[in-house]
Amino acid sequence: MISYLSKLLMVFLLLLGVGTVTWASDRSPAESQPVRDQTNDKIDFKRDVQPILTASCYDCHADENTDGGVRWDQKSALMGGDSGEVAVVPGKPNEGSLLARVLGEEDLMPPEDEGEPLTESQIAILRRWIEQGADWPDEVQASGIAPKHWSLIQPLRYELPDTKNKDWARNSIDPFVLARLEQEGLSPSPEADRYTLVRRLYLDIVGVSPTIEEADQFVNNTRPDAYEQLVDRLLASPQYGERWARMWLDLARYADTQGYEKDNRRTIYRYRDWVIGAFNHDMPFDQFTIEQIAGDMLPSATTDQYIATAFHRNTMTNTEGGTDDEEFRTAAIIDRVNTTGQVWLGLTVACAQCHSHKYDPLTQREYYQLYAFLNQTVDNDQPNEAPIMITPTEKLVGEIDAMMAQIAKKRNDFKTYQTPEFTAAESQWAKQLAEEGLPDSPKFANWNVLGPFPAKSYQEALAGKFVSEPEIDLGKTYLDGKLHWEEKPEHLDNKVHVLKAEKSAYYFYRTIDADRLIPFDFSFGSDDSIKVWLNGRVILDNQVERSAQPDQDRVPVQLREGENRLLVKIVNGAEKGGFFFRPIDSPLTENALRIAQSSPEQRTPQESETLTSYYRAIAPSLQPLRQELLGIEFKLQTLREESDSPTTPIMRELDKDNRRDTHVLLRGSFLSKGPKVEPGVPTALHPLATGAPNNRLGLAQWLVDQNNPLTARVTVNRFWEKMFGLGLVETSEDFGTQGSPPTHPKLLDRMAVEFMQQGWSMKKLVRKIALSATYRQSSRTTPGLVEKDQGNRLFAHGPRFRLEAEMVRDQALAVSGLLSKKMFGESVMPPQPAGVWQVVYSSDQWKTSQGEDRYRRGLYTFWRRTSPYPSMIAFDATSREICTVRRIRTNTPLAALVTLNDPVYVEAAQATARLVVRQGGSTIKDRAIYAFRRCLVRPPKPAELERIVALYQQELKKYRENTEAAKLMATQGLGAAPADSDIHELAAWTVVANVLLNLDETLTKG
Amino acid sequence: MNGYQQSLQHLTRRHFLQSGTVGLGSLAISTLLADETANARPSAASDGPLTPKQPYYPARAKNVIYLHMAGSPPQQELFDHKPKLQQMNDQDCPEEFLKGERFAFIKGRPQLLGSPYNFSPHGQSGMMLSELLPHLGEVADDLCVIRSMWTDQFNHAPAQLMLYTGFSQFGKPSMGSWVTYGLGSENQDLPGFVVLVSGDKVPSAGKSVWGSGFLPSVYQGVQCRTSGEPVLYVTNPKGMDRAGRRRSLDAIRDLNEIQLAEIGDPETLTRIAQYELAYRMQISVPEVMDISKESKHIHQLYGSDPSKPSFANNCLLARRMVENGVRFVQLFDWGWDLHGVGNDTDLITQLPKKCKETDRPIAALIQDLKQRGMLEETLIVWSGEFGRTPMNEKRNNSKFLGRDHHPHSMSMFMAGGGIQGGLTYGATDELGYFVTENKMFVSDLQATILHLLGLDPYKFHVPYQGLKQRLIGPVDDPKVRHDLIA
Repeated sequence: MISYLSKLLMVFLLLLGVGTVTWASDRSPAESQPVRDQTNDKIDFKRDVQPILTASCYDCHADENTDGGVRWDQKSALMGGDSGEVAVVPGKPNEGSLLARVLGEEDLMPPEDEGEPLTESQIAILRRWIEQGADWPDEVQASGIAPKHWSLIQPLRYELPDTKNKDWARNSIDPFVLARLEQEGLSPSPEADRYTLVRRLYLDIVGVSPTIEEADQFVNNTRPDAYEQLVDRLLASPQYGERWARMWLDLARYADTQGYEKDNRRTIYRYRDWVIGAFNHDMPFDQFTIEQIAGDMLPSATTDQYIATAFHRNTMTNTEGGTDDEEFRTAAIIDRVNTTGQVWLGLTVACAQCHSHKYDPLTQREYYQLYAFLNQTVDNDQPNEAPIMITPTEKLVGEIDAMMAQIAKKRNDFKTYQTPEFTAAESQWAKQLAEEGLPDSPKFANWNVLGPFPAKSYQEALAGKFVSEPEIDLGKTYLDGKLHWEEKPEHLDNKVHVLKAEKSAYYFYRTIDADRLIPFDFSFGSDDSIKVWLNGRVILDNQVERSAQPDQDRVPVQLREGENRLLVKIVNGAEKGGFFFRPIDSPLTENALRIAQSSPEQRTPQESETLTSYYRAIAPSLQPLRQELLGIEFKLQTLREESDSPTTPIMRELDKDNRRDTHVLLRGSFLSKGPKVEPGVPTALHPLATGAPNNRLGLAQWLVDQNNPLTARVTVNRFWEKMFGLGLVETSEDFGTQGSPPTHPKLLDRMAVEFMQQGWSMKKLVRKIALSATYRQSSRTTPGLVEKDQGNRLFAHGPRFRLEAEMVRDQALAVSGLLSKKMFGESVMPPQPAGVWQVVYSSDQWKTSQGEDRYRRGLYTFWRRTSPYPSMIAFDATSREICTVRRIRTNTPLAALVTLNDPVYVEAAQATARLVVRQGGSTIKDRAIYAFRRCLVRPPKPAELERIVALYQQELKKYRENTEAAKLMATQGLGAAPADSDIHELAAWTVVANVLLNLDETLTKG
Repeated sequence: MNGYQQSLQHLTRRHFLQSGTVGLGSLAISTLLADETANARPSAASDGPLTPKQPYYPARAKNVIYLHMAGSPPQQELFDHKPKLQQMNDQDCPEEFLKGERFAFIKGRPQLLGSPYNFSPHGQSGMMLSELLPHLGEVADDLCVIRSMWTDQFNHAPAQLMLYTGFSQFGKPSMGSWVTYGLGSENQDLPGFVVLVSGDKVPSAGKSVWGSGFLPSVYQGVQCRTSGEPVLYVTNPKGMDRAGRRRSLDAIRDLNEIQLAEIGDPETLTRIAQYELAYRMQISVPEVMDISKESKHIHQLYGSDPSKPSFANNCLLARRMVENGVRFVQLFDWGWDLHGVGNDTDLITQLPKKCKETDRPIAALIQDLKQRGMLEETLIVWSGEFGRTPMNEKRNNSKFLGRDHHPHSMSMFMAGGGIQGGLTYGATDELGYFVTENKMFVSDLQATILHLLGLDPYKFHVPYQGLKQRLIGPVDDPKVRHDLIA
């Protein structure tokens, strides 16, 4: 019985949000708690019963979700639900339906596919509870029983603590750090020297080390505010955005390919550039959040705001043969929920996709309520990444955004149009509709067919404009008279027609006569890609590889009065192609008739709105507005298409009529649907703001609500971690009960509050950390200090840790003068060993970039998920298949081999050698100092200088004996040496530079 | 080395275990703590994340060679003899099997496909093996064939992830990473987890099938390449010979030691050690990868040829790797996705070709290890990522014979490393559609492999993101199959 009770107590503690204690070891908390033998105690509802209900009932019978009308989080449950059976009769365990249900005597609860049956001992508890009178204290509700975990309580702006040392602190960070050090009997380290500081600041704020001149400028600046000046200058540098975007791209799992087996390319680099821009403009973090989660839903969304939504389009797309789009759409939404939880809430919500979270207060049901927010976007694992947007760069963006705003305004005018005349006309029309029924169906003329147009490849057929799209001339002939339009009465609708030719394009054209405006749905199927124009406008563009089935793409359209022109282009890749078409009455039309036939008083507001929106689509009084809207939309489409700009996958919300239902997915499988859920936020956290929309935009606003206890803490901690190497919460990926507690909780809270109060400015946050005395400490340690302050968790000395992968590379390029300052644009392919890209079902090739693109900053390197850039991986970069909050730093021989031998680093050494000879002075000593300072900024100590000179002389001697080797060492990779140079000297300096680039100090931010 | 450095070096090891800054730290210490109830597994006094560690309990196997036939071979042609299926060749697949089924490519009602190949009994146990595997037939008494494996994924990438990481989505460590994390490696001059690929293609799920997930990247598989540099960047720049590298490493060490004395960061010591390791690896990796010095007899046995990369070469390399103390060797061979949509995916043309490429070398590997007394401690595992359908796929009325992806039943085999030879385990129904006996999920296989290595599959975990992360997943359902163990 003891073991059972201890288990029960554990369930109780764990499920109800756990206590204030966070256990440092991974022993289960209950095991370290004393346990009483409670066999004969009175059953306590809160302690004994509610945990059972939480674990087994609340998924379906709590909150708004009241399957069968029963809410087991409320006392009313005793009375039973819709069935009318009383669930519990106090004192009489054999009478109510509760025990019968959990025993399976009546319909088993929980149902077999929705949860484990209750254990015997759980049932015994329920029985004894009923026997003892089924006491259910009125005040007990579903949540809020256990004290909340620290991270779920609102942060406070704590007062600065008192410290013995009154002179050390420079800003509000320092007293907190100092107080803790004093508590441990430690004192802070002295301020680092100026060379160290300038290098540290450059690496932290802009991600590359300073040049000798930049360093000297600071070191020799005697102004008292020289340090502040430098920090501000660096924050204003465009390279700031590149350095910090790098951090964000790990969270966004940004990559240039789709992932999974085929891992085809994806064009999404405008998103990467958007992130850089957002950092450089110091976009407030709340806005930064809202635009990425729901920029498309903002009023009059701009192109940039659409681009921002690509954050969640970085999920993987599976185009492997035979995959089910819904399966991988589901996988993508799950990834979005998990990533949102990680990035903003610092919570691992992923476990709850299969079961209620064991440690953190998130039920499986709540998980799918979060999921429901994100489950309403159009994208569904299409190879072409639809929906995508043509995203013009600066030149056109103003014009396009103005048009987008105009469209948004007109649409709104259209949707809200209501005048007394309009209302009168609507009721007149509704009456007529009710009496006369639906208008005649439009008349579909026969299909005209043209093709096949052969092409060398599928891609070529896809790109080819074989006729003058979209306006065509039925009389024209093609391919020297071999092809012409043919009318095909036998080409009937509602049937898949086989197209025989491979690698080719076919066109289909027909007219449709409508006697008045009418909304309609067109349904298509195709093998493979399909593009459709209606009256010159693209209404469908689906680049896919598939076999043709009925009803693969359904498009709502608006037929105009008179002649409508429908043009279809089918592009087939391998084997046979196919085409399917059928028109379907719009569900709107059917609904409209039904509603029109009911009496106006009986209509629900929703029904009235449906009727009105149908009428708006056809009302004569709105004809000018409709025309105008169509006109601008057409102009916008043309402008985008002609701009020749890159596309970006974007988020787009489904129409009201096409919303998906969200269900709990049992064990996370898209095939096992549990109860239906509505969007909602976890009850352990703050509610949605009053009046906030209950959709993705509402979720975005909720994430950055001032009442959110997590987002600001998590964000502040992330910046701290990047600059100190270790967060105030070490497990920056887990602020839940299993994560590490903050080392300086009050500091974290105060910074979080100030971050929000200062308008969520990320630059101000970086500035604040950089200006603190804590940050400016020397990183020198002594064995005593290492022992007392393990891992520098108390920040008794300055940060010292290895640079991240991209910085290691960027620094080598900067040191050697090779680094390109070019910003933005398509990802580049610097040299990588042959044969690294061997991927199944893909012939994609790594084409080494030429010119300055070989030497761009690491964040512009092409990121292929199944085969990431090898030298970055050696330094712990990730494959970006999923969100990575914290890269784990390792120190391995494979990383050493990269900086020693990777041609990129060898070229950097060669280039450095050339600079040394050209600019480093004339004596060997001067040159050695110059080389050393290019890498390490500070001047060398005498012993270091001596060692470098010795190495140089030793190597020079060897290379003088072997000119062939010298030539290879100095030029293989970078190319011919300058004409007047001594190849032996260059080779020897190349070895020296290679050594310097591999020093621990070079690879480390100290 | 002065006293100061010695005290630092002492600290370094503790630093490794206790500090998060090396990354490894917090993970390793937790696992050691977690072991307090089981046998403590102290590592040797020297440093390094790959230092050999004691298993939880005595191991049956020390090393693993996993042979993965990427794309997934058809069990009906190789290990799961189905006379009834042959009798019913070309008949419609019974409806009862198709209810609620989803296939990758099959549409409509498919026809059954009996194997065009004959089976016969082999070895003392009379194990039924296909005529396509004559050499494996010779070592039948060393094999344990499992006909009752199944998975829950039927696309390549997710199924491979499921098999190697216990999870069908990305982000978890692979089996080889878990094993090297748990046991370290016997040879510090070689990677502990080596991957060899043949057939010119990496597997569908990409490098994630040998990725380290949330474990430190030192535990990820290192792909040793059979053309070009054996390990990326192992070769010195042109114009720098080994002596030159030694001189430059001496300079790096001297300069690092000056820095160490100045700043006192134990991490500097670790870096010095890693550079020395890299230097040794520059010799040891090319050496172990060079099969040209193997005897003619051995090359005949394996069918290997140093002049051109092949699966046979990789089998020989796998033997050399484990001989040199590599903990986990993972082979991937591409070309087994036999859908029957063309010549290169046809059961009549492609399958015999693939069998010819692999049958002899695998048998040779088993024999060779046995002769050297290494089979006992080396576990060999052979599998695909899922099974193939008992039905002919006939995509677009293809005239070629092929089978679609099939998660419900697959065959695999193991040998050596404590596995009982001559055993045929589990069975499928008479058409080979579903498993009827000793049903074994992929995580049962994972549990069994860990167990053979002395790693308790239930206790062996890493705390990450609020969960005890394990290879076998969060629940205790997976079972070690003791029936398979000798």
